[in-house]
Amino acid sequence: MDCDWDSFLAVLPEWMRRDVDALGKHSLQELRLRLGTPPELVLSSGTWYLSRPAARQDIDFCVNLASQYSPWSVESTGEGYLPLAGGHRMGLCGKTIVKDGQVLGFRVLDSLCIRVARDIPGLAPKNAVDLGSILILGAPGWGKTTLLRCVARAVAEKEEVCVVDERQELFPRGFSRGRRMDVLSGCPKASGIPMVLRAMGPSYIAVDEITAREDAAALVHSSGCGVKLLATAHAAQKEDLRLRPCYRELLEQGIFQTVLLLTKDKSYRLERMEQWATNG
Amino acid sequence: MGYKWIGAVLVVVGCGGFGFSLARETLRQEALLRGLLTSLELMENEIRCRLTPLPQLCRLAARGRNGALRSFFLSLGRDLEKGTASQAQQCVSNILEQQKDLPVPVRRVLKQMGASLGRFDLEGQLKGLRACQNACRRELGELERNRELRLRSYRTLGLCAGAALAVLLI
Repeated sequence: MDCDWDSFLAVLPEWMRRDVDALGKHSLQELRLRLGTPPELVLSSGTWYLSRPAARQDIDFCVNLASQYSPWSVESTGEGYLPLAGGHRMGLCGKTIVKDGQVLGFRVLDSLCIRVARDIPGLAPKNAVDLGSILILGAPGWGKTTLLRCVARAVAEKEEVCVVDERQELFPRGFSRGRRMDVLSGCPKASGIPMVLRAMGPSYIAVDEITAREDAAALVHSSGCGVKLLATAHAAQKEDLRLRPCYRELLEQGIFQTVLLLTKDKSYRLERMEQWATNG
Repeated sequence: MGYKWIGAVLVVVGCGGFGFSLARETLRQEALLRGLLTSLELMENEIRCRLTPLPQLCRLAARGRNGALRSFFLSLGRDLEKGTASQAQQCVSNILEQQKDLPVPVRRVLKQMGASLGRFDLEGQLKGLRACQNACRRELGELERNRELRLRSYRTLGLCAGAALAVLLI
């Protein structure tokens, strides 16, 4: 399966489904709903707008269907997104509810960004298993998760790979996995990494989007235990990586041996970490 | 002459029956409100402990209930699963519109429940359910106040009204 399209369509209002299905089944990357403006379809070939503007009830409908009318039951709403079946993700924007400095959810939603998860096999480097720990870098929407999925699957054909899939986007139900892969779903990375390390005896641990210091600390710890890592990080270029404190330790410790640098057109360049060290 | 007496008996029995049915309806309302209170408490605990989403929560709430309340929660769970409306409140209103056999105090609490469902923050959702429980207790308290006296009044008044009517007609 390259995409669980039905799960994506299922969270859309009835009137939108037919057009979205006809226009985007094979190439939709994301659907943006903004209150009072026509829904925007970002396709691989360009952008398309539906004719009817999105109303408040359309936005509510999408969120309620995605959360089974229970947004409070999805912890990630406080982080601004809802994971959907099929690995898709619904980003939320509007007026937040904040208590003691912590975002609890949204009082009113004005915009949604629904990203389509597609599995595009065959992207991984041929010798992925010989590259050691791999860090995938790219800006949002450049295909980090898709590439990580391919790399993890390729490595899992030969080695034990444990995937800590916090956002349930990497290997949702229906996406093919490698032969020697275990997936821990919906668990925060900082807790999940030590869990799989203790319980599953992996050769590799794969995680998507290292964003917090505790995630980086868990990676450093597992690397010290002899496990190789497959991870992604938000950075359009290597200099971005050095600017962020949570990545600095990962670089200083020399945990990753290979970097896959994505570009906007979703192609990537492979670089060895030693090159980075010598080039500064 | 015989027909007159038969008619009188029928009038007394009819009016008495009406009084008794009023008393029975009051008891039914009480039973429904008690059942609803139990369901609301169960929903609150399920949300607090297991973050159970609403469709499953409604199915759980229907368990152990019978009659109109069971049918209400089952229909709500089904509608929420299918996604028939943009808000949970709308789903509740649609079902209440179709289900006419629920008494007014129960409908009031269910409407309030509908308005409180689907909040973003957990604490807000729990508070909403607690407010519904309080409303349910208030309605129940109203019914229970002077219950025995009221039930006896309904029955006696029915019978007396029947007797008075029979005397007038004879």
